[in-house]
Amino acid sequence: MGVRAVRRAIASRLVTIVAVLVGALMLAPVVWVLVTTVMPANQRFDLPPHWIPSSLHFGAFGKVFDLIPFGRMFLNSLKITAIITVGSLLTSVLAAYAFARLEFKGRDVLFLFFLAGLMVPQQITVLPVFIGMRELGLVDSHAAVFLPGLVSALGIFLLRQYFVGIPRELDDAARIDGAGHLTILFRIIVPLAAPAITALGIFQFQLYWNDFFWPNVFLSSTDKLTLPLGLVALQGTQGGTEPVVVFAGIALVVAPLLLLFLVFQRQLVESIATAGLKG
Amino acid sequence: MATVIDDALTPAVEARRGRPPRSRRAGAWYAPYLFVAPALLLFLLFVAGPAIGAIVLAFVNWDLLTPATFAGTDNFSRLFHDAQLRNALGNTFLFTFWSIVLHVVVGTAMALVVHRRMHRATRYFLRTAFFFPFLISWAAVALIWQYALDPTFGIFNFYAGKIGLPHEGWLVSSTLAMPALILVDLWHTIGFAFVVILAGLQAIPRELEEAALVDGATPARRFWHVTLPLLSPTLFFVCVISFIGAFQIFEPMFIMTRGGPDGATESIVQYLYETAFRNFQVGYAAAIALLVFVIVLLATLIQFRLRRRWVFER
Repeated sequence: MGVRAVRRAIASRLVTIVAVLVGALMLAPVVWVLVTTVMPANQRFDLPPHWIPSSLHFGAFGKVFDLIPFGRMFLNSLKITAIITVGSLLTSVLAAYAFARLEFKGRDVLFLFFLAGLMVPQQITVLPVFIGMRELGLVDSHAAVFLPGLVSALGIFLLRQYFVGIPRELDDAARIDGAGHLTILFRIIVPLAAPAITALGIFQFQLYWNDFFWPNVFLSSTDKLTLPLGLVALQGTQGGTEPVVVFAGIALVVAPLLLLFLVFQRQLVESIATAGLKG
Repeated sequence: MATVIDDALTPAVEARRGRPPRSRRAGAWYAPYLFVAPALLLFLLFVAGPAIGAIVLAFVNWDLLTPATFAGTDNFSRLFHDAQLRNALGNTFLFTFWSIVLHVVVGTAMALVVHRRMHRATRYFLRTAFFFPFLISWAAVALIWQYALDPTFGIFNFYAGKIGLPHEGWLVSSTLAMPALILVDLWHTIGFAFVVILAGLQAIPRELEEAALVDGATPARRFWHVTLPLLSPTLFFVCVISFIGAFQIFEPMFIMTRGGPDGATESIVQYLYETAFRNFQVGYAAAIALLVFVIVLLATLIQFRLRRRWVFER
């Protein structure tokens, strides 16, 4: 190895060290919140912070449950997100099949119509939808949050792309055996498109699990709030909620997410990269 | 986005190729419409219909309680004389500019670092650290940083003071609040730019970089003349997405600063929200929503125009 190569290897090592430092700094606020939550009261919020607590205390979690119906909010979030994820996958799979495989009048125009929908932001639709929901008495109901999520222009587009890539010989063979559209779609195409459908499902799930703008407009009763709204309510409405209690609330939301991510890192990153990239 | 537009211009081309003979069991003529119907119905109800509704709303005055009255073009002319709107637009453009620049530069740097050969554990750690914040909801992110930026016990303030940055309440300072929100947004969403750019790097054929290496090109020349041109379509995509996301920024302002201090961080979508749901001026809010839509649309079209200038097409 020449001098240049050695120098280059050292430079490369240095870059890695700097990157690891930046990574550690990026995780620091999250670690700070998690560690502070379980720290003895006399060590909390010392500066410089104690990164390793001398003993573990879980009292702050109990106070979260006293102030907000955390379990209820978790279930609300789960219900809304699950309905949207399953529902939007279903409507997207059906429409994508028609656009990818069937011949019908107005197909290309309809497809362009859906694509144009990708350009319309929530801020445009929220006012008219709010007025409509108010007429129907659906403001402050979960339906107002999940109904608009049941259609996904992005989902239709992504799945159509994927379906088009699946060889037609497979459905032709099934058709000769007497299979109808639904059989072909759910027995042949959906299993083959499982990677794309999973990626889209994960993308939709994290999008709506974390959504703030839309639920914030429509939901107001404490027992109907989703987790993100609940967290803000935990800090806000009581005025001076102790920081450690809010930390405990954040920890209850972030810690399971971190565990999930550490296990499924590859799948999660790839799903979001593919769904986002195509969108 | 890029692929969406490209594809929209050539719809269903692949589907037409190699069309098989229609079989007798192809189903009724209306079968395709049944497949599209659920999505179409919901789309009309919650996207297309409301989009038209928003245009109609912009021509009325309505407080949601008393009957609406026709306003003509009042709401639109008000857009031009509203100092608070001008301030919010200025803030939003500033935020958006820095958001795009930082996402592209930092995202590319992170992706280049992780793309090199390194120990598996190191790569796993870096991917986790760079990407994980993206999965946390804006609500939790805003709360975490509100405390981290606290002037008395926040760790950000403490360490910022140590390295010579201002050691004061960033969120209550009219000059530091916006930079703080730009940094928090970068922390939260850089993971997405990072994985997208990393995917772009991984899609570059190894042979091209190796060929340059054989020709004796220095790392800097390889980056500028081989990697960067081949990465430019991905960077274009990150620019477009960053613009759309940043221009509609709402949560950090709404949760962390309430637009303060003294309007220094109020964003355009936050102003829209306040106008509609706090001041109940639905018509004017609709006019603001249309303005936001037009700006995003124009900016996206301009970006596609400029695309030819700097994006290298293979």
